[in-house]
Amino acid sequence: MGAMKLNERSVAHYALSDSPADHTGFLRTWGGAGTPPTPSGAGRRCWFVLKGNLLFAFENREGRAPLSLVVLEGCTVELAEAPVPEEFAFAIRFDAPGVRPHLLAADGPAAQEAWVKALSRASFGYMRLVVRELESQLRDARHSLDLHRRSSWKAIPSRPKAQATDHWSSGLENGHSLSTDCSSVGLVEEAGSRPAGRGLSEWELQSPASLLLGRGQSPVSPETSCFSTLHYWYGQEIMELRRSMAAEGPGEPARLRGTG
Amino acid sequence: MRYNEKELQALSRQPAEMAAELVVKRRLVKLVVNFLFYFRTDEAEPVGALLLEHCRITQEEPSGFSISFLEDPERKYHFECCSEEQCQEWMGALRRASYEFMRRSLIFYRNELQKMTGKDPLEQFGISGEARFQLSGLKA
Repeated sequence: MGAMKLNERSVAHYALSDSPADHTGFLRTWGGAGTPPTPSGAGRRCWFVLKGNLLFAFENREGRAPLSLVVLEGCTVELAEAPVPEEFAFAIRFDAPGVRPHLLAADGPAAQEAWVKALSRASFGYMRLVVRELESQLRDARHSLDLHRRSSWKAIPSRPKAQATDHWSSGLENGHSLSTDCSSVGLVEEAGSRPAGRGLSEWELQSPASLLLGRGQSPVSPETSCFSTLHYWYGQEIMELRRSMAAEGPGEPARLRGTG
Repeated sequence: MRYNEKELQALSRQPAEMAAELVVKRRLVKLVVNFLFYFRTDEAEPVGALLLEHCRITQEEPSGFSISFLEDPERKYHFECCSEEQCQEWMGALRRASYEFMRRSLIFYRNELQKMTGKDPLEQFGISGEARFQLSGLKA
């Protein structure tokens, strides 16, 4: 549609995929770049789907192809006065020069509020902030766990930490493949569209965390680990701690730094 | 499908996670959030953009990589780097560049923190109830 190319088929495919939608609902739209054209005044009622920083509009809930896409970066969302006295309207206002705001209207006050909230938090930057915050909290919690372990380590059998690390790194050496005993958590099988013989798992290869937090590596790193292995390992860690604490009898419980 | 091209072009001018000249055709490639923009050298407006969701980054020997997408895995966008090191750096960055990757990271950290501390770390942000951050949301 524009002079700039975009991988539209992939984008449309992503819009229709089972990946979670952050918000959906009917909204009336008055046009603007990236939205469907409208008859003047009334606004056009479309089914909107928010996924990450992408706002798609469909003709209706059963729409097989998005009518439009608004990329929600470099914008602010605020309540607005619609051209016609329209209730529950809000606008997506862009920083880019010479661009008119996109006007949208919900069906009621609750929907309006929910949409404004959802769209305000849709940017990649916001998500990245939250992830980094949790990353550092996890690092701190992990550190506290480490300290407690060291202070009571005689009660805990030597952790198979080295083994676990080897397990992860060997799973990573051949680049993409996950270890065979890993369940790919959260991976959605897409009927029909996936390559023959392979599931979505090969496409969603990046499990988020490397447990090498203690070594100062970012968990959000190219070295990925098997999700279920990490889950299991942490679970074991905590069970051991509890056992050792129980064995030592009543006393100060382990104090992990709170998240507050 | 219409899209807000002007805004996307404006986005291409934002600070990049990474930028370099890659590709056989000698394009300037710029990674901004979950988009990979590519420019002809010396041009201000991008030739095109790739949304990096549901994509696969594959190493192509010796020092290149390709990007392909879920719905058409045979179709590859090839990139040639100056060195193996640059190649690895880019591959890593591109794999982390999707919103879906961040979503999974967030859910994972949230779950781990909840197990370790007994508290939901998202409460402080007032977003603990949102559907997109639920562990159950990961399953089919």
